[in-house]
Amino acid sequence: MDKEMYDVTIIGGGPIGLFAAFYGGMRQLKVKIIESLPHLGGQLNALYPEKYIYDIAGFPQTKAKDLVDSLVNQAMQFEPTVVLNQTVEGVVKTDDGYFQMVTNKEMHYSKTILISAGIGAFEPRRLNFEHAKQYEGKNLHYFINDLNHFADKDICILGGGDSAVDWALMMEPIANKVSIIHRRNNFRAHEASVRKLEDSDVNILKPYNLKEIHGDDEYIQSITIQNLETNECVSVELDELITNYGFVSSLGPIKEWGLEFHKNSIIVDSTMRTNVEGIYAAGDIVTFKGKVKLIATGFSDAATAISSIKTYIDPKARQQPQHSTSLFEKIKA
Amino acid sequence: MAFVITSPCRNEKSAECVEVCPVDAIHPGDDMYFIDPDVCIDCAACEAVCPVQAIYAEEEVPEEEEKFISLNRKYFEEIS
Repeated sequence: MDKEMYDVTIIGGGPIGLFAAFYGGMRQLKVKIIESLPHLGGQLNALYPEKYIYDIAGFPQTKAKDLVDSLVNQAMQFEPTVVLNQTVEGVVKTDDGYFQMVTNKEMHYSKTILISAGIGAFEPRRLNFEHAKQYEGKNLHYFINDLNHFADKDICILGGGDSAVDWALMMEPIANKVSIIHRRNNFRAHEASVRKLEDSDVNILKPYNLKEIHGDDEYIQSITIQNLETNECVSVELDELITNYGFVSSLGPIKEWGLEFHKNSIIVDSTMRTNVEGIYAAGDIVTFKGKVKLIATGFSDAATAISSIKTYIDPKARQQPQHSTSLFEKIKA
Repeated sequence: MAFVITSPCRNEKSAECVEVCPVDAIHPGDDMYFIDPDVCIDCAACEAVCPVQAIYAEEEVPEEEEKFISLNRKYFEEIS
């Protein structure tokens, strides 16, 4: 467990959180990022990694996932601590004015908090069966970490988007058997990937709906799927079940931290300060007079928030930073 | 701003949009689906998957479909 005290803990590792991490480095703050998903990039990676973005200043067009890669590279120059797979559930301010944050896994300590959680914490859309939960971390997967785990197994993949199709194609050469089960007749994935899928040895089952999962105390052993046109039910035996039903997000616990909200946005002033001293916010999650929700303006919120945090921690510091051209060299020297 | 479901959804109710909405903003009405304008985050995921092109950004709703802007909103005011 990391009991270290950080200057700022950024909640949300999307584009704004990443830029804030970079800017925190520029202002020589000790920075930690906490992200709910197993990867950084927020909506850009979870919702539209392959889409082009046209309104990043200085970039006529950039693919969402490429922007994430650049932001990660930029932020990592200052080696912030990155915590993945953790969702901040509670925030407590101690008597000495510091914050304790409890996640689903551990406790974190920080002098200030910067919330750049966008539309809230993402999590995979889970199977709608009560008893499914007990198989998570066993043979029910919402994320793939280690491809080797699936070698020589019988694998079922649920879903019809890019992730489902891509995973099917990656597993087909190493698995014993791969089946992909989709509720529709058309896959939502890239045409080229779908063509590859149709030419592969992947067993394509559509339009089928998942009807039931069957397992013992340890593992799912088979599933029953129903053809949506004929209503015929089929049982499929499996070693591993992978579910790719996309992501859902919600503000969830953030609403319980005593922050002032307008609808689903945190109210901040022009310094990005919230109503709780020491907690700042930036990006899509904030609202103030004239707020525009864009990545471009989120970056601006982030720089303002970090500068405000710098002066909050060190009242002698300047709100207005030096130009990066001179500052960067000095810090890195 | 928000996305709005219009007349082609009537009796179609294909529900692809419901599956892709990352914030679960799309709810079933009697004969069509509606998008909660206070929950919608304008990601446009639903627009892309609608098989009958029923979904528009609010400011792009065709003139003859404009009544659906208030119908979408009204649906959520009534159930809340």
